[in-house]
Amino acid sequence: MVAATITTRRTVGLLALGALAVIFALVGLSVSAENSAQFERLQPWMLLGSALAVLFLALLILRKVLQLAAARRRGAPGSRLTIRTVTVFGLLVALPLVTVYLFSLGFLNRGIDSWFRVEVKQSLNDSASLSRGMRDLLLREHGSMAESFARRLAVLPSGEMLVALDDELEFSGAKEIVVYGQYERILGAASRSVPDSLPSRPPAELVRRVTDGGTFVSFEPLGGDNFVIRAAAPVSMAAPGPLDARFVVATYDPPSRFAELTESIDRSRSTYADVEALREPLKYSFRVTLTLVLLITMLAAIYGAIHAAEVLFRPVQDLMAGTRAVAQGDLVTRVPLTSSDEMGFLVQAFNDMTRKLRLASEENVASRMAAERERERLAVILARLSSGVLAVDQSLVLQLANEAAGLILGADLSAQTGRPLGEVVAGDDRPRQFAALLAERFAGGATEWRGQIELVGDGSTQSRVLACACVPLPQAGQQPVFVIVFEDITRLLQAQRDAAWGEVARRLAHEIRNPLTPIQLSAERMRRRLLPSLRGPDAEMLDRSTHTIVQQVESMKQMVNDFSEYARAPALRSAPFDLNQLVIEVADLYHAQEPAIPVETVLDPRLIGFSADRGRVRQVLNNLLTNALEALDGHRPAAIEVRTSIIDTGGVERAQITVSDNGPGFPPELLGRVFDPYVTSKPKGTGLGLAIVKKIVDDHGGSIEAENRPEGGARVRVMLPFNPDGREQAAGERRSEVRRERA
Amino acid sequence: MSGHVRQGQTVQAGRLIGWLAALVVLWSPTAARAETLAGTPEVRAAFVSLVSGVYQLNAEIDYSANDETAAALRDGVKLSYDIEVSVTRGRRFWLDAQVVAVNLNRELSYHSVSERFVVKDPLNEGDPQSFASLAEALQEIGRVKDWPILVAAQVPAEECSVNLRSSVRRGRLTGSLRVLMFWSDDWLLRSEWYSWSLPR
Repeated sequence: MVAATITTRRTVGLLALGALAVIFALVGLSVSAENSAQFERLQPWMLLGSALAVLFLALLILRKVLQLAAARRRGAPGSRLTIRTVTVFGLLVALPLVTVYLFSLGFLNRGIDSWFRVEVKQSLNDSASLSRGMRDLLLREHGSMAESFARRLAVLPSGEMLVALDDELEFSGAKEIVVYGQYERILGAASRSVPDSLPSRPPAELVRRVTDGGTFVSFEPLGGDNFVIRAAAPVSMAAPGPLDARFVVATYDPPSRFAELTESIDRSRSTYADVEALREPLKYSFRVTLTLVLLITMLAAIYGAIHAAEVLFRPVQDLMAGTRAVAQGDLVTRVPLTSSDEMGFLVQAFNDMTRKLRLASEENVASRMAAERERERLAVILARLSSGVLAVDQSLVLQLANEAAGLILGADLSAQTGRPLGEVVAGDDRPRQFAALLAERFAGGATEWRGQIELVGDGSTQSRVLACACVPLPQAGQQPVFVIVFEDITRLLQAQRDAAWGEVARRLAHEIRNPLTPIQLSAERMRRRLLPSLRGPDAEMLDRSTHTIVQQVESMKQMVNDFSEYARAPALRSAPFDLNQLVIEVADLYHAQEPAIPVETVLDPRLIGFSADRGRVRQVLNNLLTNALEALDGHRPAAIEVRTSIIDTGGVERAQITVSDNGPGFPPELLGRVFDPYVTSKPKGTGLGLAIVKKIVDDHGGSIEAENRPEGGARVRVMLPFNPDGREQAAGERRSEVRRERA
Repeated sequence: MSGHVRQGQTVQAGRLIGWLAALVVLWSPTAARAETLAGTPEVRAAFVSLVSGVYQLNAEIDYSANDETAAALRDGVKLSYDIEVSVTRGRRFWLDAQVVAVNLNRELSYHSVSERFVVKDPLNEGDPQSFASLAEALQEIGRVKDWPILVAAQVPAEECSVNLRSSVRRGRLTGSLRVLMFWSDDWLLRSEWYSWSLPR
């Protein structure tokens, strides 16, 4: 801004200087043309100044024209309009000026030519001719007088010559009469004035003339108005007298008036000749002056037109530049307000418009940012949500899925949006089942619903139960999108079942244990009292019956104990121990019990520092190995493998115990419920072994999974927290999970 | 005697600038040309003689003329016949030093009534001489006799040379008219410099 102001001031200064120089040159030209004394001194400098002014203006215009051309080439706003206006202005200025210039030149030439009319010259020549006629008359008259005197002189005695000269001087009015003899010797002279020297030597032409026998007459200028008439005549030589005179020369003064007029005519002719010689220089001088004035005026006018156009269109250019900037998204730009006229009003309106646009744009950006923040927050919430969230359209094409949805359905759904839900790549057919069940719901016309969906395991995986809720999203004019929120409540249901069974076991134990002892005591008393008194078949029947009662009561007591064991929840007594050593002990025990079935152990040496309730972990191992041995009953070759390892689940290290056998495996229909009480495939089993195992594992904050091996046989995996801290963490997760499921 | 020291260098420079300016602004062929004047003047002979401590110049210059010259004279034009004489002292590696420079201006005109050619010669006490023919007048103009140009006391000890040049031009105009001849003052013909050593 400062640079622009300095440039503007410099331009204005230069222009003012140039204008002063031009005015000075023009005034100087005018003044010097009127004052001839100043003219010769000032003319060169005036011309040089004017020429420099023309050059200066031409350079300024050239610079402006180049700037305009450059602006036109790069498509600067308003350049075309400026060029057009300058062209029109320039033509409007140049055409009248050139017209006036041409007419002025014509008038000038004709005017100057009229000064040198032919009549003037002719009259001067006529005057000269007239004067020459008069001169000839005078010359003839004085020539005759000289001849007459010469004739008289020829016969005059020598002593009378001087008297005759005086008489002739008096008679003819001559100024001087001189008689020359042979060799131009002066024989006598008479003069009206007292001579201060001898008469001058006669001109050679005079001598030649009279020597040839002719009479000589001349009208000679002596400078100024002074003239002299010189007349000479030869003295007759036919009869030379005693004087031996050769010729006589007489000089006369012409009439003074004639002399004055003659000189005036001659001076006028000379002056006219001078002036006539100046005709072309005069024209040229005026032409140059006029041309300079024209050039200066025209160039100044053209430059003024360019400057005026620039000033006039600067707001327009600013507006165009501002419009382009706004079109390119720059809403901060403001057009400078340079005037308060209509153009200023336009500029003000433009600035108001851009300001409103900027405010609207800022509001829009703020709204977008708020929406983006909301979207990010929603994405974070969805990502952290333990519930699965899916968005599908009517055709079950996946639109959106969070991480939990992928975990529940066993597939990476976020990478497969845009595909039908039933066709996503997954480790099992959970997504396909889920899609099929959703399709059934949609086919039934339900768009907003809640319910449970069970995904059946395929033999190697257990079944899962999902609690689902479906809500349609409003989509104006588009295919409806449904948001499905689902939760894996398998664990919750299992926990509910476990709690119910625990309560049942506790009540059964309580209600059955109480009558069992009186029954057993009554049967034994009956046996003691009655058996000695009975004989024969009665005694045998009593013995068999009481024995049966006592045996069944014992059996029921054992069953009640199992129930009691299942129901009771003693406090864990965690302590560090060597899990691998415990595994080896239990394996050796069972191998010794059944040598035909090898029990192989694969142990992880990193299991150091494992902490749990050793007795209850031993019971877990006992139950699992008992289960395996019972499953392998009659199955050969039989093999059992017990493997320990450390796994990392969500940043928490856990000890994993895997017991595998090569038996028939779990019946598929029981696979999802093998840890429920009274679920067994064995004829003698109570169905509480795996249930107790699961309870102990749950008490430790661990987890258990049962599956069938692909190569045959069953496999049970027990995952226990490595230490009490991990156990607390796992228990906390489990509690919160249960709370969420209940919620 | 009317020899005078040459002046007017400032005027010459100004005229040069004016010419340059005129050429920059506009070029226009001037109508006036030197056709009226005949051939270039030629110095046939010149010498100086030391008479009573005064160097006197004697010269014979040939001024040719033609019918146009005579016609112009008869129309009233005056012609000026100038003789420039300078005595210079040579210097090494530098321009010659000027000891003295004198001009002799003679004017030739035609008196229309007397039909005689009038010569005004400063050496002739200013009285005009008239001649019946142009040739006689030019012969008189071309002759310089005993024109004192230098006093012996002015002459430096070093070697000096005398330089003579003659020119013919249109007669000088009055001030009011002379300014206009600025544009076409090219009625001027000059001889070559005629130089010789100044005798001791």
